Amino acid sequence: MTASEKKQVPVSEGLWTTPSSPGEKPQLIGSKCPGCGEIVFPTNRRCINCQNEHMEDIKLSRKGKIHAMTTVMLRPPAYYKGPVPFSIGWIELPDGVRVNATLLGAEPDSFKVGQEVELVIHKLQEDEEGNDIMAFGFAPVEA
Amino acid sequence: MREVAIAGVGIAKFGRYDGQKGRTNKEAEDLGEEAIVEALKYADMEWKDMQAAFAGSCEQGMAIGHRCIGRIGETGIPITNVEGGCSTSLIALRHAYQAVATELYDVVLALGVEKLKPGLLGAWPDPIWKKMMGLDVIPAQYACNMVRYMEDTGSTMEDFARVAVQERHNATLNPNALFFDASEITMEEVLNSRMVAWPLTLLMCSANADGATAAIVCSKEKLRSKEKIVTIAASVQTGGVYGRGETEGKAGGSVKIQNLNHGELGAKQVWETSGYGPEDMDVIGVYDAFSPSFLWDLEEAGFCKPGEARHLLKEGYFEIGGKLPVNTDGGIMGRGHPTGATGIAFAIEIFRQLREEAGPRQVAGAKIGICHTMGAGPNSVFTMLKR
Repeated sequence: MTASEKKQVPVSEGLWTTPSSPGEKPQLIGSKCPGCGEIVFPTNRRCINCQNEHMEDIKLSRKGKIHAMTTVMLRPPAYYKGPVPFSIGWIELPDGVRVNATLLGAEPDSFKVGQEVELVIHKLQEDEEGNDIMAFGFAPVEA
Repeated sequence: MREVAIAGVGIAKFGRYDGQKGRTNKEAEDLGEEAIVEALKYADMEWKDMQAAFAGSCEQGMAIGHRCIGRIGETGIPITNVEGGCSTSLIALRHAYQAVATELYDVVLALGVEKLKPGLLGAWPDPIWKKMMGLDVIPAQYACNMVRYMEDTGSTMEDFARVAVQERHNATLNPNALFFDASEITMEEVLNSRMVAWPLTLLMCSANADGATAAIVCSKEKLRSKEKIVTIAASVQTGGVYGRGETEGKAGGSVKIQNLNHGELGAKQVWETSGYGPEDMDVIGVYDAFSPSFLWDLEEAGFCKPGEARHLLKEGYFEIGGKLPVNTDGGIMGRGHPTGATGIAFAIEIFRQLREEAGPRQVAGAKIGICHTMGAGPNSVFTMLKR
């Protein structure tokens, strides 16, 4: 496969937007309930809080604060091909939703509760055809 | 609804029965058979007296109740298998209790069985994309909950270590515990043990184990012995509540919606419906698959205020000789965690305490107790026993 044939494939469809103009950055896509206002990520057609069946897509803020985090010292048993140790956390976005994601761009044990972080789309691993499988994560906000 | 008594209990000692390194090999069915036979002996009943059975395991596959009971008898009774994560066997016990309370049956068996590979509770059955991202590691998600608890209460790793030390101490007094024969551990050993996911260390995690537990419940009329009768005063089960996320829901969940979680909701229901309050309990079991939840379970169930449990623990309040003895047999941390059997193990210890059969673990004058498990789902089960 030549470099030009290599594609980027999302780890799952519909998790983040594909920028359509230069300078536009990806955003995670959540769902907002027109009934009760609850926001969830990833998307869901039905609101689990009030059972409204018409949740609407909402592009989520790119920046948020770490609500909780941990440094994982165990290698997950299957599917994960990344480094160990690695960091995961719950990031609270100002839209009013918490997102579970990888934390990257710094030493795994350097993340702190309350720290400002920003969305990053990064390569996880390659698939059988040599394409890059992409996933979302959050990294410290550039100073 | 009529009163339901516990006629007999049995345990296949929690251990490792994999046939490796000189250990005995026992199948899950062997363990289940042992527990049932012991319960029948205790109750002075025979297999043919059982009119129905509720059995459960997390990972033993189809028909675990049938496979264990099939070692003893086949009398055409209905056998129902349940699964509820760590609450599995307390859910089985709840169904047995309801069957007798509503007069559908007079004598019912409840059974929990598990045989697990050594190690830690592993991965949640998430979609593959979440596994690829490494978001499915149960101890890591648990660690995120610990971080929030530390933020909200000022609890420290020392507090979590202190729980593990107390529980391993209590286990040395419980012949049916995995750690009965093991030496006690120190705070330093817990804190310096291998880091699993910060701040959760290996010795703050319960150990997988093999084992089985059984309880026979019946109407008071069917009891062979009318001495020291212990009845089930309440059995309350709840499921997940929106906004509180998975498990105890501290790290994830809704930003705006502040519901009680499944444990808090269950506690509210059990105190409101039983006629008793936390202050009435003489001896209790709280959910401790990882040592930190010992603390927040006590708080969420209403035994003390949020953030207070760690102070009371330090003062010895929850020791066997303390004001409110907790997990006198070592709890999950001390007993080991054959997940499907763990629930009834909690109930058996309360039962023994009320029957004055707890030996060196005995809480003097114990007349009423309650135990609690939280299971993957999530679910919560509170089971109250009284003498």
